[in-house]
Amino acid sequence: MKVKYIKDWENELNICIRCAYCFEGCPVFKELGWEIDGARGKLIVVYGLLTGELEPSEYIAEKLFQCTFCRDCVERCSADISVPDIMGAIRADLFDAGYSYDSHKELTKKIENSGNIFGNELKVPVFEGDKAVLLGCRLVERKEDSEKYLTILEKLGVKTKTFNESCCGMPFAVLGDKKGFKTQQDKFIETLPDKNEEFICACTTCVFFIRAKYPDLKAKYIIDEIVERLPDYKGKLKKLNIKVTYHDPCNVARGMDMVDEPRMLLKEIGAELIEMPTNGKQAECCGGGGGLLVSDDKLAEKLAEKRVEQAIKTGAEILTTLCPTCEFNLKNAVEKLGGKIEVKNLLDLLYESMM
Amino acid sequence: MGLVSVQTLKEIVGAENAKDDKADLYVYGSDSSVHQAMPWVVVRPHTIEEVQNIMRYANPRLIPVIARGAGSGMSGQAVPIKGGIIMDLKKMNKILEINLEDTFVRVEPGVVDDDLNRALKPHNVFYPPAPASSRIATIGGEIANNASGVRSVKYGAVRDSVLGMKVVMANGDLIHLGAKTRVEATGYQIDRLMVGSEGTLGIIVEATLKFVPIPKYRCLGIAKFNKLGDAGNAISEIMSSGIILSMLELMDNIAIKAVNQALDLGLPDVEAILMFEADGMAKEGVDVEVKRMMEICKKHKGFGLELSYDAKERTRIFSGRKKLFPSLSRYKEGYVCTSLADDMAVPYSKMAEMAKMIHEIAKRNNVIMTAYGHCGSGCMHTKILMDPTKEAQWEDAKRAVFEIYNFVRSVGGTTSAEHGIGISKAPAFKREKHESLELMRALKKALDPNNILNPGKLMDAPDDWVTATKLRYTVKLEGK
Ligand SMILES: Cc1cc2nc3c(=O)[nH]c(=O)nc-3n(C[C@H](O)[C@H](O)[C@H](O)COP(=O)(O)OP(=O)(O)OC[C@H]3O[C@@H](n4cnc5c(N)ncnc54)[C@H](O)[C@@H]3O)c2cc1C
Ligand code: SF4
Ligand code: SF4
Repeated sequence: MKVKYIKDWENELNICIRCAYCFEGCPVFKELGWEIDGARGKLIVVYGLLTGELEPSEYIAEKLFQCTFCRDCVERCSADISVPDIMGAIRADLFDAGYSYDSHKELTKKIENSGNIFGNELKVPVFEGDKAVLLGCRLVERKEDSEKYLTILEKLGVKTKTFNESCCGMPFAVLGDKKGFKTQQDKFIETLPDKNEEFICACTTCVFFIRAKYPDLKAKYIIDEIVERLPDYKGKLKKLNIKVTYHDPCNVARGMDMVDEPRMLLKEIGAELIEMPTNGKQAECCGGGGGLLVSDDKLAEKLAEKRVEQAIKTGAEILTTLCPTCEFNLKNAVEKLGGKIEVKNLLDLLYESMM
Repeated sequence: MGLVSVQTLKEIVGAENAKDDKADLYVYGSDSSVHQAMPWVVVRPHTIEEVQNIMRYANPRLIPVIARGAGSGMSGQAVPIKGGIIMDLKKMNKILEINLEDTFVRVEPGVVDDDLNRALKPHNVFYPPAPASSRIATIGGEIANNASGVRSVKYGAVRDSVLGMKVVMANGDLIHLGAKTRVEATGYQIDRLMVGSEGTLGIIVEATLKFVPIPKYRCLGIAKFNKLGDAGNAISEIMSSGIILSMLELMDNIAIKAVNQALDLGLPDVEAILMFEADGMAKEGVDVEVKRMMEICKKHKGFGLELSYDAKERTRIFSGRKKLFPSLSRYKEGYVCTSLADDMAVPYSKMAEMAKMIHEIAKRNNVIMTAYGHCGSGCMHTKILMDPTKEAQWEDAKRAVFEIYNFVRSVGGTTSAEHGIGISKAPAFKREKHESLELMRALKKALDPNNILNPGKLMDAPDDWVTATKLRYTVKLEGK
């Protein structure tokens, strides 16, 4: 295979000491169990493709698309290897070599046509203040919820401004479509009210991705904004008296190093938190990231079910999280498992406590 | 592909538990060493019977069988140098019995060390060998390597925790070795022979291990030294003064620099740091031991002394040592961290000299080497930091390795303290054990007459580790 993007990672592939520490928490390895399923195995395959010792195949593509970009391996790595970045690069090479699923193309086509992952014309709730807020495709689609989250900010004193946003392009990047990403990147920037101004980002995936791929933009995570402003509002929060368990989204805990803030918010609103056995930076991934929902929906579903089972075991009535994609994936799993727990965004709980 | 029938193996382990896709084989041809070779097929047995049937299939056909746990060995022990069947034992991972009354646990070989300890913790006991890789290392792999770790000075290596085991022999027979008791004087200690056998004598399919109480108190100390020699003298005196300690770790200036470079830990710019620990059920006892170690460090010009019982504080003090690996990997642009000549053991009185020698050898051979280790058990670690893409660097590394082991032997040390022999250390091992190699070969022949169990390792490994297998890196031939 002619490789281009992965060449930049040769040194990192050499630096990996092949210790297998990344087996410990990799959700895909834990589910499927062959060494090719863990980060070390994937990196060895990538090295084989780079050197030409391996030729690409449907099987190799399947294995390399079975990664949720959860960064658990990065967290545990002996050599600080950024596995998801390497996966992104090899997927771009695979894409150029013609390894792209119909489900990938379907998704990226939708974004190209409509500016969002749903392929529909979505109406952003209108808020006309001065602070731009990017909601992200998944929240734009949930208009009522978006209004709630914007209201939280308004109540905390932010004069929010929504705009006719376009997808940040993350799906193109994780599925290896570099050209598509470039085009979408331009569209995304074009829709921003002012690319030099800081904007608030309500979606965990978008904010993490934007920080990594748009170094010139200033994206502030909604939780940071809330945490900064909450001290002035504290007395007005209603105690909810609920039992919850919190699922740390990968991009939040491992990606943005944010473990304490959501827990602090839960405490403020009077929620009793019962932790799952893996939490914080060691939290197990729900399977919703890295494009797995379109590359291998069965596996994504299986991983979500495992996480939900852990949540149910805590005895909590609500499984709360911050990432809209986790929420989506976990909700589906709850339904499949007979609805024994309710999945709610932490922002919904905060809203309830404010009302 | 040799003579192997994947179809037959699928009939033994189930279709979903055998693979021969080239990508899988390529992955299973590697471990944490510099070596790489292609197996012919990978199988994942779930039961002892399946292991037996695989051996019964492979033995008459002379097909090599390589047992594999996590593949975290650093010397190429699990690399299939002669091809064959990789037997991935990670799915045999059940804890079969925790017997609190008789203080033993029975496990399948694929149980991960940390998982075992998580299961033991509620009972306030632990399985103590604790190699740094305990988060992924399997019990089978640990036994086959006689693994050990930072606390082995007090609790011993894996061999000291093994009471007995079940082993499937090359011909498929299942044998029970050892006992469930603490002592046993019933003839040949064949279970001991299996410890450290690196998969060459039999497949360990069950292990009976002892456990010990988790100490109530643990106190960690740290001391800094401007001279490596002073730290060495402190080590010798601590170890010869009858102190009951649970850890004694050394970091040299390169290790310190690496950690400082990678993380902002602000470790002082000194020649050596010692970390020492005592543990026990009574605080007074622990106090006595750590204070004695502190006094000895002071006597040998140790300074910046700190002591802590607090778990968080201990983690902070130890964080530099913990972060050493990632730090070494990033020490110099274009260099990688290789496990070569990386875990010799030398007498306590020679530790400082060994560390100095490592630096001298590195310098004259154009590689970077660091000295750190579990001084309490006499284990000195080093890593060779080098540019693996340059052919000349392999020659440099080869010379450095040769010189290191010459020194180790000259002071009465041994080739490997914990990471095993496999392929990379076989040349030095063969020089060290030259008198017993024929005996080892005779034993191997008696137990595995067709030489199918992990062939080409230990005494049968090639004499030149650099050319023994393909290297995992792509070496460019332009010279330095
Ligand atoms: C970062 C890092 C740190 C390490 N730190 C330490 C340390 O502190 N102390 C230490 O001792 N080691 C250490 N090691 C080395 C290694 O992790 C240990 O030796 C470990 O015990 C190997 O276990 P494994 O399951 O990975 O075995 P593998 O690498 O899979 O196998 C090793 C050998 O054991 C044989 N084997 C495996 N399972 C069986 C079985 N069931 N029956 C018969 N033979 C079998 C294999 O054939 C092979 O020869 C470290 C390794 C790494 C990468
Ligand atoms: S933990 Fe890091 S260094 Fe170790 S095998 Fe995985 S990616 Fe490589
Ligand atoms: S990013 Fe997550 S899913 Fe991907 S290899 Fe790492 S641990 Fe596994």
